[in-house]
Amino acid sequence: MGKFVDRPKYICAMGGAVATLNALPGVVPILHAAAGCGFNISNAINGGGGYVGSGYCGGQSLPSSNVFEKEIVFGGEGRLEQQILSTMEIAEADIYFVITGCMVEMIGDDAVSVVKRLNKGKRLFAADTGGFRGNSYKGYDIVLSKLFSEYVQTGLEKDERLVNLWGIVPVQDVYWKGNLRVLKKLVEGLGYKVNTFFGEDETLEDLKESSKAILNIVVSDTYGIDAAKTFKEVHDTDYITTDFPIGDHGTARFIKEVGTALGASNEVINALIKKERKRYYGYLERVVDAYSDFDLQRYAVIVGDANYTQGLTRFLSDDLGWLPELVIINDLLEEEQKEFLRRKFSDYESGIKPELVFDTDASSVLKHINRHWEVNKNPRYYDSMTPAFLIGSSFEKETAQKIKAQHLSVMYPVSNRVVLDRAYAGFEGALTLTEDIFSVLLESR
Amino acid sequence: MANKKIKQIAIYGKGGIGKSTTTSNISAALVKQGFKVMQFGCDPKSDSTNTLRGGKYIPTVLDTLREKTTVKASEVIHEGFGGVYCVEAGGPAPGVGCAGRGIITAVQLFKQQRVFEELDLDFVIYDVLGDVVCGGFAVPIREGIAEHVFTVSSADFMAVYAANNLFRGIHKYSNAGGALLGGVIANSINAPYAKEIIDDFVKQTKTQVVEYVPRSVTVTQSELQGKTTIEAAPNSEQAKIYTRLALKIAEHTESKVPEPLDVHELREWASKWADHLLALETGEVTSKASCI
Ligand SMILES: Nc1ncnc2c1ncn2[C@@H]1O[C@H](COP(=O)(O)OP(=O)(O)O)[C@@H](O)[C@H]1O
Ligand SMILES: [Mg+2]
Repeated sequence: MGKFVDRPKYICAMGGAVATLNALPGVVPILHAAAGCGFNISNAINGGGGYVGSGYCGGQSLPSSNVFEKEIVFGGEGRLEQQILSTMEIAEADIYFVITGCMVEMIGDDAVSVVKRLNKGKRLFAADTGGFRGNSYKGYDIVLSKLFSEYVQTGLEKDERLVNLWGIVPVQDVYWKGNLRVLKKLVEGLGYKVNTFFGEDETLEDLKESSKAILNIVVSDTYGIDAAKTFKEVHDTDYITTDFPIGDHGTARFIKEVGTALGASNEVINALIKKERKRYYGYLERVVDAYSDFDLQRYAVIVGDANYTQGLTRFLSDDLGWLPELVIINDLLEEEQKEFLRRKFSDYESGIKPELVFDTDASSVLKHINRHWEVNKNPRYYDSMTPAFLIGSSFEKETAQKIKAQHLSVMYPVSNRVVLDRAYAGFEGALTLTEDIFSVLLESR
Repeated sequence: MANKKIKQIAIYGKGGIGKSTTTSNISAALVKQGFKVMQFGCDPKSDSTNTLRGGKYIPTVLDTLREKTTVKASEVIHEGFGGVYCVEAGGPAPGVGCAGRGIITAVQLFKQQRVFEELDLDFVIYDVLGDVVCGGFAVPIREGIAEHVFTVSSADFMAVYAANNLFRGIHKYSNAGGALLGGVIANSINAPYAKEIIDDFVKQTKTQVVEYVPRSVTVTQSELQGKTTIEAAPNSEQAKIYTRLALKIAEHTESKVPEPLDVHELREWASKWADHLLALETGEVTSKASCI
């Protein structure tokens, strides 16, 4: 039997699809699943996503076919058809998107052909997102791939100043909207227009015409790659993958990589970096006094997803001058993805080499910490990993208390904070992150 | 109400091997002996009880459930020859939904409503699609439903293969209170080597042959009249065999856990028989080889 995941930090493929669709403007998801799916998914999205709320047609208003035994035995396509038609009548939307749960896929219901039969053109789509296909990230990829291949127009002339950017997964990245805003602004700084689909002021029209873009920038090595491959296949647009950038060291690289891929001149690239740095260090400088007066350097343990752990560790090590000791990545990854990721945790300017652990069980964090740094058994001299700081999710709150470390929830699930337009990406996000980290350090004062 | 124990039996076997024919004849023979019998067809084909009812189809449990949200078991029980209670589980149209889940739904509906007790039955015989392709078709052999399983098999390799698969299912559920194996009903056994093959198979798998039922035109003639052999030709040799089989099943008490062959063993076993037949019947091979 395969290994099960203890305390997963994601939901199923269908859950990821719901979160993705809810984050698009003017889109109403229609679930073809048992009644419990929509309810559970909504709770996980809201409760773990910094209280993102149900939005236009999410949460308890999610349309769902709510199949019961009758549909399981005789097939649920008829029920789905009813649900699609009534949803289209009642809920206003530009796009209706059917997604399927485990049970209807196991009995062979074919949602895609139901949608085809209804013949509603580019207003109605369907994708198989049965929970067993994977986790939230998979759902994100499935939805994007479907939209790229069926909604986005083909045969449009390329716009040499237009790019698309994704790889920041709504809700799984609790700060997705803020992060997309920041990254969009950076790429705009290189002289390009940017579609991010899920960000502020994005429209479905932009998505529809996104095939005009000359490059797709996937801000991840793990999420959104399938979608990028689909895009390449259908619209012949190349893509690059970049690390999720936080702070000067990460973001300067990001700008260079994107700028180089776009053929921007060194002057343009360096001018942008220079301008951003000036503002960044202008603010960051302020904490230097408190940092040294109160001795706020910390050992750090970073626990979470592949995108953030990489960006956070670089920021802590090279921007903040902290001591990252242990990094735990909880994502479900292939061996070659792990191999690829390992390299990203070994080239810090500080020369620090944190231990990198891949463990899909979020419940094992304390075990890894205790193994990494031997527990105090009261010898005369004990070199302890204190003071320490744990950056993870709400799941790690207790663990942090146990090792007497301070804690900040940055990655999903974030249940102890409300998140609105906050961003942690780029130069701008790193300032916010610094505020948040130092506010935790100083909260007892 | 008498507090007797209802004997619940499941009959499995490959599609078209003669399960429904055999089961219906057993049911008919048992009612003639004065027993109260229900035959429960668990095959989406829904034709298990046809020869007990003049060749006519009856509304199935699932058809009825499709129309209404709740079904009273009494609505889907139809009396057939000699008062046999006939039930067909039914199922979805081919290619949609989940037939296995349908069987589970139908069987559980009867169990929950305690129909067997109310009808004061002596026997419930489930006639189940034998390629136990998913959990749904195993439901009659799970705990608390049938206690004894019989499998209908010819000497045909595919039939033996299905029987062996069933044995694996029984083996799996056996330590969880599931049904045990009563034995093999050897159907269409006319040639001597067919008997040898089946005898060898039951020996290998540590079970027994309950009865050898020959292939007989009487069965076909009866079926064409929409009747069991017991009803249409009660004095025929074939009816005697079915009656003898029914009585053996009625008296049967001790079922066992079979020892199924694994895939390799089964293949080896089959090729050994193929070689044997070749050697035995050179010259006639082409016509008889299809039996293995
Ligand atoms: N012993 C037999 N002699 C002659 N015909 C038989 C015999 N057993 C089964 N048949 C015939 O084989 C066909 C399939 O039998 P059936 O009982 O419907 O199979 P199953 O229920 O296993 O699918 C029927 O036409 C039936 O009359
Ligand atoms: Mg049959």
